[in-house]
Amino acid sequence: MTPALVMQVALGGLLMGLIYALVAAGLSLIFGLMDVVNFAHGELLMLAMYATFFIHRGFGLDPIVQLPIIALLLFGMGVVIYHGLIARALSVRFNRGMVQIFSTFGLAIFLRGAAQFAFGGDFRAINHSWLAGRTLRLATLSLPLPQLAAGLVCLLAFAALMAISRTEFGRALEATREDREAVALIGIDRDRIFALGWGLGCATVGCAGAMLAGFYYVSPDVGANFALIAYVTVALGGFGSLLGALVAGLIIGEVEALTALFLEPSLKQVGMFAIYLAVLLFRPRGLFGTL
Amino acid sequence: MIGLSRPVFAAFLAGAWLLLGSAAFAAEDIVIGAVFPLTGNGSQVGLDAKAAIETEAEIINGHHDIPMLLGQGGGLPALGGAHVRLIFADSQNDPQKARAEAERLITQDHVVAIIGSYTSATAVTISQVAERYQIPYMSSDNSSPSLSQRGLQWFFRTSPQDEMFTQAMFDFFKEIGTKTGRPVHSVALIYEDSIFGSDSSRVQKKDAEAAGIKVAADIRYRANSPSLSTEVERLRAADADVLMPSSYTSDAILLLRAMQEIGYHPKALLAQDAGFVQEGFFQAVGSLAEGVMSRSAFALDATRSRPAITPVNALFHARSGKDLNDLTSRELTALQVLADAINRAGTATNEALRKALIATDIKGADTIMPWRGVHFDASGQNTEATPVIQQVIGGHYRTIFPDDVATSEPVWNVGK
Amino acid sequence: MPPSEAGTAIARRRRLELSAGLVLLAALALLGLPIHDVYTQNLLIIALLYAGLAQGWNILGGYCGQVSLGHALYFGIGAYVSTLLFVRLGVPPGLGMFAAGGVAGAAALLVGWPAFRLSGHYYAIATLVVGEIGYLLFLNWDLLGGASGITIPFKAESLIDLQFRTSKLPFFYLTLAYAALAWTLAWLLEGSRLGFVWRAVRDDMVAARSLGVEILPSKLAAAAISGGLTGMGGAIYAQYVGYIDPDSVMTIEISILIALPAVIGGVGTLWGPLLGAAVQVPISELTRSYLGGSGSGVDLMIYGGLIMLVALARPEGLFGLIAGKRRIDAGFS
Repeated sequence: MTPALVMQVALGGLLMGLIYALVAAGLSLIFGLMDVVNFAHGELLMLAMYATFFIHRGFGLDPIVQLPIIALLLFGMGVVIYHGLIARALSVRFNRGMVQIFSTFGLAIFLRGAAQFAFGGDFRAINHSWLAGRTLRLATLSLPLPQLAAGLVCLLAFAALMAISRTEFGRALEATREDREAVALIGIDRDRIFALGWGLGCATVGCAGAMLAGFYYVSPDVGANFALIAYVTVALGGFGSLLGALVAGLIIGEVEALTALFLEPSLKQVGMFAIYLAVLLFRPRGLFGTL
Repeated sequence: MIGLSRPVFAAFLAGAWLLLGSAAFAAEDIVIGAVFPLTGNGSQVGLDAKAAIETEAEIINGHHDIPMLLGQGGGLPALGGAHVRLIFADSQNDPQKARAEAERLITQDHVVAIIGSYTSATAVTISQVAERYQIPYMSSDNSSPSLSQRGLQWFFRTSPQDEMFTQAMFDFFKEIGTKTGRPVHSVALIYEDSIFGSDSSRVQKKDAEAAGIKVAADIRYRANSPSLSTEVERLRAADADVLMPSSYTSDAILLLRAMQEIGYHPKALLAQDAGFVQEGFFQAVGSLAEGVMSRSAFALDATRSRPAITPVNALFHARSGKDLNDLTSRELTALQVLADAINRAGTATNEALRKALIATDIKGADTIMPWRGVHFDASGQNTEATPVIQQVIGGHYRTIFPDDVATSEPVWNVGK
Repeated sequence: MPPSEAGTAIARRRRLELSAGLVLLAALALLGLPIHDVYTQNLLIIALLYAGLAQGWNILGGYCGQVSLGHALYFGIGAYVSTLLFVRLGVPPGLGMFAAGGVAGAAALLVGWPAFRLSGHYYAIATLVVGEIGYLLFLNWDLLGGASGITIPFKAESLIDLQFRTSKLPFFYLTLAYAALAWTLAWLLEGSRLGFVWRAVRDDMVAARSLGVEILPSKLAAAAISGGLTGMGGAIYAQYVGYIDPDSVMTIEISILIALPAVIGGVGTLWGPLLGAAVQVPISELTRSYLGGSGSGVDLMIYGGLIMLVALARPEGLFGLIAGKRRIDAGFS
């Protein structure tokens, strides 16, 4: 257990944390906007990864180059899903919370089946991207470039989202979240805001998927590997707080890595979940939660 | 009939009688059930299994004339050319659903036997049902030792199990250590947290101890994690002679990539098969797989001693787009052994089939497997299934142990 | 409606419900006898098991408004307690299942006590996380079987051991009794003081507080009853399947499947979970059996699509279709 080893693992944890934050960002946005627990978040990630894989295979475009394409694709998908499913779920008068949970759960199963139907059950992977297999070595530390790039994209995405929140659109989002009924009075089309907000959230998870496809495998069930961690990240950071999602992601990634190093790797998720529950004891609304 | 001479008329009658007679005796299909995970996690393997078993049915029923047991085609000879008909069911890798499907196959479709099942958990419940209804369950690819140690009468396993596989691994260590003068002093075990991982590591620990080899690392990891970097760092710190992973495809991919990212190159890697023999693994890791070793029940390159491999592989490839591997070859062979027993039983009644299975004695040369043969002991385990050790040389697995089936010299870097 | 008339109307309705319940029970009991097809029997058993489980979940999630997404923890604890008592200590599961319910109920109390401080989504995610922690702990706990699970050996046909091999009929009656127990508990609770408190808490927390009602003890009671019922179901499952491992009794998928019938059928209602189980279980079993064999994923698409459809088309559940009068709103606070 040398200091170099601990540092390497800690660094890996931070990188992974940034990736968790990126996956969670879209979820946080949607949570914050319309109180929707989207159980299909992992499947949206999976679809983004498949899209990246196939576009790479068909046109040779590197995942990084594909970012705007995938973001746009998932944005469109998000708007479609909103109008097709979520808008109906929100218009329900009774059991709104549960209807959202279970209708998106049905969507998740449907998407998994559709992915298997369309793409087959085999594992796919991109192994000739620009950054694949390259590592930046600083002294004793190894920083794999695909993960590093994902981390950078994460920071950029958060910066972009926070910039958007200062625009008029962002303020409209905020207003709609604060008081759904009243915004109609000041001329904000609630439905349109929700659709755009949902699209934005999906575009963000699309970016995560594109970057993940650069170093992770793709299969119909791959979303499940990240989904629960994403929910915990958002809840730890506090629903509705973008900064919270970022900080929480870093904490989760770090705790996971250190638990795997000092305790038992098979219990590393128990470590991150335990930290989450411990924080909840003192801050029932997460670290920065305002809702 | 006016004008036809008597002998011609007689011949005509005889011919008509034979024709009608054979039509009357034309055999009904023999229905066999197969339960595998066809959707969800594990569907990749399940769908490959389906292709493999369908290939064997095609060989039995068709006219491919392959130099192996029942390879001449035309159906089951002792049953009037009866065809084998398969019914597949999806276990979704859940023991309760597997059981429900097995029961459905037995009671609704009246299958005479069931082949399965990829995972141990589903094999437990399927074999319990089979035992209850007195239908043979043919375990084609379940490797958990405990499955054949439950005193079941209707459980048959053609495949080697973990104890046999791991024994082969340590036999290989002994031999290569003596041959090169660079023996194995330490191993690092890394295994996923399901039944497969725990069974495999348990036997590996036991055998290592018996061979006087140090276990430098004993790492159980969470399957399907987003990252295995920390786990690999711990492996590097242990710095064992041989890395022995027990992983499925997803983790095998992550493991090798993580190793490359941190620049960790173990002297030797001997895998417990599973993910390390899957097509998806090769496509994902490319040249990183060079030098990787694995135990295997099958040797694709043993075409000299097993000439049936080439035509059978061609048929399988046409159906699935992949070459036969350790799992698919076993699944295919399981149907072959089952069909042979049905053929020898002459009928499809339970007890006759069971007796025929117990009496099974097939020579390895009559199959595509590099085994000594197929013969079940009292617990239903095929004791003649001899595993091999293979190594990725030039992008493909080549058999390196034991000597009588080896096609290549191993690349052994331990001690260098 | 003047209070006295309202009271009588409610009493009359409750008598009607009880009669309807008894009639249904008798009908199902008779229905079981002529069915000999094992596949159908299995379908009915699983449906009844889930009816009971969903009803148990409904007590906490529907009546009390606390949406738990981690009920597999109690299901699994129940399965393991009953199984370990049987396999290691020889305690017959006929008795063990009550112990299983007890331990599971206690676990629910332990989880509920800190968790009920959390609101809405935070509570749901917390239950999800606790459930997953339970799964991971059991997976790594070799003393309790770990990943290898526990096989329950068949010793002999026995009522008290809940082991039946020659016929599935005893399991049918066992799960029927279980579902009936869950339903009866729900019916009793609806008319009890606890039920009144839950409705106040769920629908209007401010008003509830102002009545001097103690919110936490009532929620804890709901948790204990709900967890206990779920645990009992786990014990029955273990005896029925004969093999348990963390992957088959403690995963998130199971948590969702326990809650799903209640949502589909009508959360917070007496009949919702039954209706939901009657719809959901056949759909999932039949799509798998008759469409899953191809491995194309079409069965999943149909199953998922149907869940979405029902959740949306009839958000007050299928029950709302039948009895449009009762209004329930178990939205998040």
